[in-house]
Amino acid sequence: MSRRVINALSGGVVFLTVSLSALLVFGIVGVIVFNGVGSVNFSFISEASQQFGAAGGIVYQLVGSLLLVAGTGLLTVPLALSVAIFWSEYARSIPVKRVIQMTLYVLNGVPSIIFGIFALVFFVNLLGVGISWGVGVIVLSMMILPTVSLAGYQTITAIPIQYRESAQALGFSRALLIWHVLIPQGIQGVITGLIIGLVRAVGETASILFVATAFSGAGIPLSLREPVATLPTHILALAQQATNPVALQNAWGSALVLMTIVLVLSGIAFIFRLQFSKRSVV
Amino acid sequence: MWPLTERSTNLAVGLSITIVVLFVSALLIVVIGGSAPSLISNPGLYFNSVWNPDAQSYGVGALLFGTTAVTVIALCIAVPIGIITAIGVSEYTRGVVRVVLKSVLELLAGVPSIIYGLIGVVFLGEWIKYAFSLSSGSTIFTAGILVGVMVLPGIISLTDDALQSVPKQYRDSAKGLGMYRFEILLRVVFPMAKNTIISSILLVLGRALGETMAVMLVVGGLDVIPDNWLNVFHSGQTLTSKIGRELAEASFGSPHFEALMVLALLLMVITVCITAVGSYFMKPQRGRYE
Repeated sequence: MSRRVINALSGGVVFLTVSLSALLVFGIVGVIVFNGVGSVNFSFISEASQQFGAAGGIVYQLVGSLLLVAGTGLLTVPLALSVAIFWSEYARSIPVKRVIQMTLYVLNGVPSIIFGIFALVFFVNLLGVGISWGVGVIVLSMMILPTVSLAGYQTITAIPIQYRESAQALGFSRALLIWHVLIPQGIQGVITGLIIGLVRAVGETASILFVATAFSGAGIPLSLREPVATLPTHILALAQQATNPVALQNAWGSALVLMTIVLVLSGIAFIFRLQFSKRSVV
Repeated sequence: MWPLTERSTNLAVGLSITIVVLFVSALLIVVIGGSAPSLISNPGLYFNSVWNPDAQSYGVGALLFGTTAVTVIALCIAVPIGIITAIGVSEYTRGVVRVVLKSVLELLAGVPSIIYGLIGVVFLGEWIKYAFSLSSGSTIFTAGILVGVMVLPGIISLTDDALQSVPKQYRDSAKGLGMYRFEILLRVVFPMAKNTIISSILLVLGRALGETMAVMLVVGGLDVIPDNWLNVFHSGQTLTSKIGRELAEASFGSPHFEALMVLALLLMVITVCITAVGSYFMKPQRGRYE
């Protein structure tokens, strides 16, 4: 075979494979939309579920998922900013930086079910906190911490040296540098990383299944120590009774609502990233 | 001003770091402490292939087999498709087409695990059942395909980054020498991006091993090693699906619970080692060859 033929053939294979991957994306999104759109209407997202989800709506699951996401966001921002600042400003020696980096990589590599079993033993059994959405917030924020801290660290280390030099020329202390230069400049990276992390958190099931969520009977929590219902656990419960067509229909409806949240968050992250790349060129 | 003093800033940063360090240490202590004593004092309890809590037998053999089989199938699907797709995105497109294609493919990464599980139960399992005339669509093969699709976006985006990190001058010089596109790829770009691509495969392998919800819904939940190891059209069980299925019914402190902690330790050691090695070799590449 001549080189020219191989070149054309390999181009064809690449084209077909890319088409296959793109089709897969449209297929999966299409399946969710096609199956879910029939059951999503105003009463579906505003009514409580009945008969273990086989009837009624998903309002408490929706509220539970949004509460978890909001709580996770609030807890993660200060933690991730601190890790990023500690990593770039306080850690002077290479070995310390290595340890931080390695810890974050390890945390990132821990499967979500391990977070679940750990939280069950530590928070629910040893500390006796009970099944509560507060524990869910802690677990989810530790799961996304590596992503968010890394994004913050990269933004902070990418701040042009002139900013630091100007701050030094003005006689800024390290605290002033942090509050007036690093945080205002670095927050955008943290927020972008946070939204990407929250996309993962909102769909998370295994890590909070045993520590923060209840399959049924959970309403709006009145304190941090009460369980919530979430969309992923609701889908899990319904998928296990897949022979009941109404339950299945509600599962697809919940999946579509969950996917919509994911798409909205991804869209926001995308816009943030575009704006950020524009700004760093200037 | 109050919050801006050196001392309060140090305090705030220190407090946050302490919380993170405490959490990570607690995680390690609980997982290791909850399983290591019984693993060391009674290893025979775990190193066999019969899992039957009623008979006080907690063999991990069948679960390790299931995890390995699912992961191998997943990688066999995801690695070739992912790398070729990444080549397409990185080398065959540019400008707006590239940005749009990349964003579309990244959508796949956002789909939650549980939704893949739902698709697996309702469609994939049924298709496989009819296509191969099986009695049940919940097989190791089904789980493998599902995990393969789930880790595909990871391979695509990491490999794309690796290919993009090879400077354009190398491609131009190779083109100037009269090389065709596939030759530039095979002889110039690939050798330079090789290490990063291997480490991205390791990172994705770690993700595949730890996948829980989707696998739990479609793998079938049968703790056996089939007589023919290559027969993947058979219900199975993985480390993750076992923990997910039985954690709620095992009471804290019982041998059953300890056995689940042993599974968690095994899984954590495997995934953390793979992820750590993968991350370590994932050096920042940009500018390395300039």
